[in-house]
This record gives sequence, structure tokens and C-alpha cells, in this order.
Amino acid sequence: MIELENIEKTYFTGGIPTPVLKGISFHVAPGEYVAIMGPSGSGKTTLMNIMGCLDKPTGGSYRLDGIDTIELDDEKLAKVRNRKIGFIFQLFHLLQRITAFKNVLLPLIYTEHFPPEAAKRAEKALSAVGLADRMHFRPNTLSGGEQQRVAIARALITDPSILLADEPTGNLDSQSGAELLDIFQRLHEQGRTIVVVTHNRTVAERAERILLLKDGVISGEDSS
Amino acid sequence: MRSLGISLEGLRALLDHKLHTFFMMAGTVVGIAALIVIMAIGRGTESKVMKRVNNFGPRAMMLIAGGGKDLPPPDMTVTTLTLEDVEAVRAEIEGLEIVTPMAWKMYTPVKREVNQIRSVIWGVKPEWHQAYNWYTAIGEGISAEDVASLARVCVIGKTVREEFFGEENPIGGRIYLNKVALTVKGVLTEAGTSPGGGDFDNKIILPITTAMRRVLNVDYLGAIRIITKNPSAMAEQAEEIQVLMKRLHHITPPEEDDFRIVTALVIAEVARGISRTFYYLLLALAGLSLFIGGVVMMNLLLISVNARVAEIGLRRALGATRGDIFRQFLTESLSVTLLGMLLGGMLGWAVCQLLLRTTEIALILSWQQFAVAVVFALLIGTFFGVQPARKAARLHPVEALR
Repeated sequence: MIELENIEKTYFTGGIPTPVLKGISFHVAPGEYVAIMGPSGSGKTTLMNIMGCLDKPTGGSYRLDGIDTIELDDEKLAKVRNRKIGFIFQLFHLLQRITAFKNVLLPLIYTEHFPPEAAKRAEKALSAVGLADRMHFRPNTLSGGEQQRVAIARALITDPSILLADEPTGNLDSQSGAELLDIFQRLHEQGRTIVVVTHNRTVAERAERILLLKDGVISGEDSS
Repeated sequence: MRSLGISLEGLRALLDHKLHTFFMMAGTVVGIAALIVIMAIGRGTESKVMKRVNNFGPRAMMLIAGGGKDLPPPDMTVTTLTLEDVEAVRAEIEGLEIVTPMAWKMYTPVKREVNQIRSVIWGVKPEWHQAYNWYTAIGEGISAEDVASLARVCVIGKTVREEFFGEENPIGGRIYLNKVALTVKGVLTEAGTSPGGGDFDNKIILPITTAMRRVLNVDYLGAIRIITKNPSAMAEQAEEIQVLMKRLHHITPPEEDDFRIVTALVIAEVARGISRTFYYLLLALAGLSLFIGGVVMMNLLLISVNARVAEIGLRRALGATRGDIFRQFLTESLSVTLLGMLLGGMLGWAVCQLLLRTTEIALILSWQQFAVAVVFALLIGTFFGVQPARKAARLHPVEALR
């Protein structure tokens, strides 16, 4: 499913190389719930961007569902993101001017063929995260927890191979955060593959496997 | 289907930011409206000019007694234009088809029985009919024999016929001009308004010999009508005629000419009123306002791109390609300019209607002006929309999501 081999990422600022990821290798099997934990500056966001095909590594290989992503151009990478990856961001990234329902539909605009049953799928996704009665609210009228649940529904609508969450509880109070992690737990039990990037041990411990990231390398692995 | 959905995203953004959209559009609206009004005035003017020129004769020149720059009629006090001048012009200037003399007397009393009117008298030769492309509606025109025999005949204009004969048959009728009895042998077709604005049909045409020796008792001409073979040589020929006439009339500077030459070109210039340069200046101003409108739109679009960096990053993460983002923002700019064009077109149309109703300005509205507006709107929407759209498309998703 996810196969990273010796991933390197080096940024050049003014010609001076700054290595951020220094050879990272791990696999994530279908249905696994994995947390990548590390302090800020450990390179976890960079790793997440590479896993999400938003950025390309400077070295190593990354295969997603058997596809070698290193060779893909901008257009094909966009397709991979659309079809195989569901993103959940710390800042939710919902469009404020449209309803929750329309936010959830957004990824389908970028599919090859807008599915005729799109509206049904959006309703189903929103119901699955407990927002059936708030579908036609705008994001700014929803609580933080609700907004993040809209984002989950949006991530699920394309039925992606993996859910990639970057500090999903970072902007939530502890109660909403806990509820969110319960949803992740449920999705995992339904067979979803989930990768969560976080610096928060409580969040990481809900996963079945924790990869510890430090200074651009995997420094250890826990399983709970 | 996919492209349509993405284009709709661009439209939706416009509807969500109505005030912003309005400001983006303002320049285009004003520019397109101005363009349409100015082009309508241009077309109206040109059509007026064409009419006047055709009326005067597109290949015609008039060598007129008396200096200055006025249109006909000639200056009646000048007695220096002669039949010898006609022969000299015919002999020395090349490329002329007709050179024909005209004796001329402005509003002169004419009688029939108890009625009297004042009419313009022209003494002419037979080729005058060709020179004016003006023939008789009924009866016959002036013939060579009439001229040779100083015949007491005349051809009358439509106004004269109506005043004297009403519904009667005017042919063979008798009218009196300076106590000379003339038999009407023809009636001219209707001509309408003269280049100077008078009634061109209030006219009596005589054989030139009859006019000069029997009626007016003069040995000079009012004007010489000249038709060139080649209209593009007209300006040059007019200059040559001027040089020749100066020589014949022994005019040396600073002495002023005792004649003037009015050509179809002069008629066009007078009829045009606003000069062509001024018209192009107005067009350029309309173009400038479109350009400024485009620049304003581009800047507002750039601001909107900056304000929506996170949105662009999100869309990229959700599967939008660079091309998708580009399309979305270009749709925005094209929609703005097309909508602006639509409103500008309506505004321009309304202004034209207002001008037509409240002023004398000649203007013609046609579909071409609206076609030009569409083309300009598309050009501006594309030209000024590409830069912001490219900027949006070039954003790196990682940077945009940060």
C-alpha cells in the first residue's frame, strides 16, 4: 500500500543545503492505523506532504498502491491526490462562502466524471460524521469540532486509499479532539487506512503503530 | 463536464464577491459603452459625409468666381471668370472628363401669368447634365442646338414646377425672366438639399448663351463645373487649376485669388464637422479606458489570488491540476469582462438612443459595433486575466497550504 524507501528531502536556501528528511523507510499495510510522531522541526509535515503527493522527495522511492509516484508529472500527481488520498488539515481548510454540503462535494469537481450520485454520497459522508442536520450550514456557523468533521466527510467522499491527517486535533478543544479520534477509531474498524502526523502523544497512542520521527530519521517504533 | 464544473467554480467566486466584481467590471462597462457610442457617431458621420459627397458629385470640382473658402454660390460681384478660363483648363489640365461653364444668378424674380417667385438661374451647356448627373424627369434637357441658337427655352426644377404649374403639364408653358419669355421644355428630377443647405430644386436652367446674352446680359461666368476621370488625382488637379488660374488672372501674392476651388474632398471635410483626427482621439480615449479597466481588473484579480492562497492550496490538494486553477481564474476574468461588455453594450445603446432623441448628432448603431465590443472584451479578459490566473496556477500547493 504505502512503501517509502530511503526518502530524502533537502531544501536549498541561498544555495546552502538543509536536509530535512535523511533516509526514511517504512511501509503501511492496507487497513493500518499509523501515527507519525515527532517534535516540531523533526520533518513530519514534510514527510506528510511527500506522502500526500503534494511535494516530491529529492531522493528515494515512494510507491502508493503500487504506483511509483516519483515519475509522475503535475497532472498525474493531482489525479493521485484526488483518487487515492483524503487530507485532513489542522486548519480544516474549508471554503467559508459555501455550505458544508458543497465543501464536501468539492473534490468531486476534480474527478474525471462528476458522479451522478454525488449528492447522495455527500449526504452519506456527512451523516457518517454525525452532521446530517447541519449539512446546509456554512462553516463559520459550525464549531471547530464540527468543521473538522466536515473536513473528514470531504476526505471520505472520493473513497480514498488512505486518510492523511496533519495535527487533526491541533485546533480543537480536548472534548472535540477526543470525539474526532473516536471517529478515526471507527473508520479504522471499518477498514480505512489512516496515517496521522502529530506531536501529541495522546493522539498518537490511539493508533496501532507509532513511528517516532526525530531530526529527519525514524528513531523508533512503538505499537500500542 | 469536468471543465464546466471548474468554470462554474470561477463564476461562483464572482457571485460571492459582488462588490469586488462590480469594481473589476466598472472600467470595462465604461470603456465598452464609450466605444459603442463613438463608433456609432463615427458611422453616422461617415454616412452623412457620403451622402453630401454623392450629392455634390464624388468626382466633381467647382471653380467658383470670388475668393475665400465658402461653398457655392459664387460671389456675384466678381466678373473675372470667363469662357476663356474654361478653354484654358480644358486644354492644360490633364485627366479631366468634363469642364463646363455655368452662368449663375441667385434668387431672381421669375413670372408666370400673375405669379412671381424668386429662383436660382443657371446658364449651362448640354454636358452640364452629365456633369451633375442630373437629367429631366419629363421633357428634354438643354441641347447643343439650344445653345447655338440662343433658344428661348428653359428646364425647371421641381419647386418651380410646383409653384407655377401645380398639377398642370408644364411642358410648353411660358415663364418670364427679366422680361424674356422662355418656353419650358423639361423638368429636372428631384435633387433635395444643396451642399450649402438650400433648396436645390428651386432652379431654372437655360442655354448658357441665352442666359448670358438675352437674360443676364453678362460676359462672365459664375462657376465652372469640372469632373475628373480619377478621384484620387483630384487634390493634385485642383492645385494645378489654381496655379493656372493665378497665371490667367495675373494674380501675384500677396494679392488674393479672385476665384476658389471646391472639390468633393472639401465637401467631405465640411460635412464631417468633427475631424477624423478628433474621432480617432476619441476612439483612443475609449481604448484607454478599456485598458485602464483591464489593469484595474488585473490588480483586483491579483489581490483576490493573494487572498485565496489557502483556497488554491486546498483545491490543489483535492486534485486540481495547475490547468484547473488557471481555468478557474481565467473564467473569472472572462466572465467579468463579458458581463462588463454586456452592461457596457446596454449603456452604450441607451446613450445612443438618448443622443438620437435629444441632439442632432448623426449616429448609426449597428451589430458591428457590438461585435467589436465582444472581441475587445474577450481580448481584455484574456490579456489581463492570464497574469493572475498564471500566478494562481503556479503556487506550490505546500506553500499555499502553510
